[in-house]
Amino acid sequence: MAEAKDLFKEFKVQSVSEFFRRNAAMLGYTGKIRSLTTIIHEAVTNSLDACEEAGILPTIRVEIEELGKEHYKVIVEDNGPGIPEEYIPHVFGKMLAGTKAHRNIQSRGQQGIGISGAVMFAQITTGKPTRVITSTGGEIVEAWVKIDVQKNEGKIVKKVKHPNPKGWRGTRIEMEVKDVKYVRSRQGVYWYLKLTAIANPHAYIELVEPDGKLVVFPRSSEEIPKPPVEMKPHPKGVMVDDVYTMAHRSKRSSVKRFLVSEFSRISEKKIEELIKYVAAIRLLKSEQNEEIKEKLREKLINGDVDSVLRSFGRKWKKEVEKVAKIMEKPPEKLTWQEAEEIVEAFKLMKFLAPPTHGLRPIGEENIKRGLTGILKPEFVTAVTRSPKVYAGGIPFQVEVGLAYGGQISGSEILRYANRVPLLFDAGSCVITSAVRSIDWKRYKIDSFDSAPLVVLVNVISVHVPYTSTGKQSIADIEEIYNEIRLALMDAARKLALYLGGKYRRMYQIKRRKTLEKYLPEIARSLHILTGEPEEKIREYFLKLIESKIEVEEVESVEVEEAEA
Amino acid sequence: MKLKRQKPKEKFSYDPQKVLKKLEDLAWKILEEAKSGKNPYFDVPTRGLNNVYFDEESRLIRLGDRLSRRYFLNVAHARKFMQTLILMAYIKRLVSEGKHASLREAYYANKHTVPGTRENTFEDQSESDPIIEDLERMLGVLREEMHITADRRGYIYGDIVIKDGEDEFNASKLGTGGWAVPGTVEHIQFPEINVDYVLVVETAAMADRLIEEKYPKRENCLIVATQGQASRGVRRLIHRLHYEEGLPIIVFTDGDPYGWYIYSTIKRGSINLAYLSEKLATPDAKFVGMTMDDIKEYNLENVTEKLKGIPPDKKGGPTGDYKRLIEELNYPWFQDKEWQRQLKLALKWGVRIEQQALANKSLEFVAKEYLPEKIREGKLLP
Repeated sequence: MAEAKDLFKEFKVQSVSEFFRRNAAMLGYTGKIRSLTTIIHEAVTNSLDACEEAGILPTIRVEIEELGKEHYKVIVEDNGPGIPEEYIPHVFGKMLAGTKAHRNIQSRGQQGIGISGAVMFAQITTGKPTRVITSTGGEIVEAWVKIDVQKNEGKIVKKVKHPNPKGWRGTRIEMEVKDVKYVRSRQGVYWYLKLTAIANPHAYIELVEPDGKLVVFPRSSEEIPKPPVEMKPHPKGVMVDDVYTMAHRSKRSSVKRFLVSEFSRISEKKIEELIKYVAAIRLLKSEQNEEIKEKLREKLINGDVDSVLRSFGRKWKKEVEKVAKIMEKPPEKLTWQEAEEIVEAFKLMKFLAPPTHGLRPIGEENIKRGLTGILKPEFVTAVTRSPKVYAGGIPFQVEVGLAYGGQISGSEILRYANRVPLLFDAGSCVITSAVRSIDWKRYKIDSFDSAPLVVLVNVISVHVPYTSTGKQSIADIEEIYNEIRLALMDAARKLALYLGGKYRRMYQIKRRKTLEKYLPEIARSLHILTGEPEEKIREYFLKLIESKIEVEEVESVEVEEAEA
Repeated sequence: MKLKRQKPKEKFSYDPQKVLKKLEDLAWKILEEAKSGKNPYFDVPTRGLNNVYFDEESRLIRLGDRLSRRYFLNVAHARKFMQTLILMAYIKRLVSEGKHASLREAYYANKHTVPGTRENTFEDQSESDPIIEDLERMLGVLREEMHITADRRGYIYGDIVIKDGEDEFNASKLGTGGWAVPGTVEHIQFPEINVDYVLVVETAAMADRLIEEKYPKRENCLIVATQGQASRGVRRLIHRLHYEEGLPIIVFTDGDPYGWYIYSTIKRGSINLAYLSEKLATPDAKFVGMTMDDIKEYNLENVTEKLKGIPPDKKGGPTGDYKRLIEELNYPWFQDKEWQRQLKLALKWGVRIEQQALANKSLEFVAKEYLPEKIREGKLLP
């Protein structure tokens, strides 16, 4: 038996690291460049979220030291609220905690296991614990954290406390990782931080690259975004697994109470409707005649649940009673099959659109600030659309920003989901196809590929429909595609207006220069012909040019005019 | 018919002061507009066939009243605006100093870099020539009156006394080469005229033939050799000899569309210089030959030449001479019955006849028989 127990233990150990390996793609740890980016992403996201919740303007420093071939030390330090000592193992060690998985919240992460994945990655590749130095303002705690794969939780292997005379507050984590590579590519850390800085203009981010070079992404906004609020899930946006898991965790007295209080837009009356629908679905399944089945199904889709039920004669009342009983039992007794039926009914039923107050766009002003601060363009504009729903009930919102000219040299599409830069799988992303579908020529951009134009698109949702578990590209959903296009066209119109004005101004300046350069010749000739003094003639013509050709002051007005 | 000098209809009218005044008036207009904050402009009569018409009353090709307005404040016009003023100033100096310049000299004299730029006032002569033409049209003044001379071509021979500046001479005492007509004939005066008419001859070879045969002396006429299409100087000279001196004008060209067009230019003016027709053309001029009828009349069938190009009824036609003939058939100033007949005959026979084909008879034939006969008998085309 002891042997078996050991074996089981062994099996468990393997399974956690096995899980990590098997789900490396989902967790973002595939490829040497991407793994490093994911580590930085997890750490920076934690910092940004923590600062946001604490109402602190984030200052984040990222350092990457090269220790050997594909061997780096990663340091991320923030000025956030710090982590209370007792939470350290939880934050850095809890694998598969699923803290975010069942919170219906628009979050940056959504990558599942967060920073603990990074700790795990370091542990797997180098065997070394992650060093955490943090303070909430009191003494400074220095801790070395490892993940106890058996208990699936963090374990502090060593802890030292230091006095904190200067009242430092924040968190610094240091980890050693192997099998990663620092490259200044479109998928690398530099690019990730740059895009993060653009979408988070309230953050100051600096990066020390392996060669010692310091890159600063300055703060361009003093406004701390409000943290997102948790929203109850909308019946249209849930899957069987969600309903099942939620029900089993729920402390409500009945399935009915659970549904009414833990979902949005479900009322007592809706439960009665739900019962009828579930009953109808059951009855429909028992129907043998395919033709009738199809007809009834159509009726059901059209919302005529009562006539569907009645068509089954006396049977229906019994069925409805049966289903009603489900609603009265404790939620933890809900079976998978019942959850399935409920979700199927949800799909057929009509609900009010979900509340959108949980969505947190970057905002037009902040997009403009972010793009201006990091890219130094000559023109920026941004559009934040009002929230919409897709798949019948999942709220989402689209915002875009355009930055043109200035220090921008080529075209670029910056993709974001909930403010998080998407660096991979651009080709399959709805953002890419929407941007490409725009007829840029109509907006005075002759060739999108060679224009000095950066297009930022942020898709915000509590449930971003990614194409794959890698969460790096957004699925081609018509509602989202159309919203991106509408937002882009709206912003592009402003750009076209600006470019029109710019060309007009450039034309006026050119026109004036052209005319002025001929003045000496004209004055000399007219002097010969009329005998009037050359100087005077020149003055007349100069006044004429000034009165007829107005040229606004260039640099300063442009951005403001574009904003108007 | 005996040709005689008639009463003159125009007087010698060249007055440099008039040209200067016109230039200065225009300059003042521009300056006043600029002073009062208006956009200064030049009104330039439009060039080209669509601003040209045949005036039935004066029987001249004339310029229409289409204008294009050239504004200073228009970037597309500004350069030409400047160029116009530069050349106006230059012409003022030329005229007031009594100097003449060729088109090319006018170009070089005014070509320089615009201060503070890498741009030249004139990049090419093709920029200055049209401005001078524009000025002619704007001011109604000949380029020659503005002391800008054209290429010279053509000469005269005959018993008239010419006063050219300080020189005075008889054009029949300069040897068989005659007197080469200068680019500008505005200032030329004719103190003495002892001829009855002017014979304008297309080719120098034919003019030389006539001079050698003492035709001018015998027939008491002045020979004007155009040497191809008549130059502006020659056309102006012909005009002046007719209107200021009352001399009848007889034109003698090859019997082909090209020769006939030379005649038409002398008589009606040309499309390019339609705005100058009143000063260059001589609608009273008559045509002595060669005609298609001459071929029959003088048995010249064996010395005709085939017209060049493809006839209109053949594939790809009409081209070359045929094309020119068809154009002439359609010009309003070739609608005269006699001319339509000649043109149609040429088209029908597909031949042309040169002046010098008359040498087929004998060298003297043209001087002793052909011309005297035709002129005496009034066998002239209108």
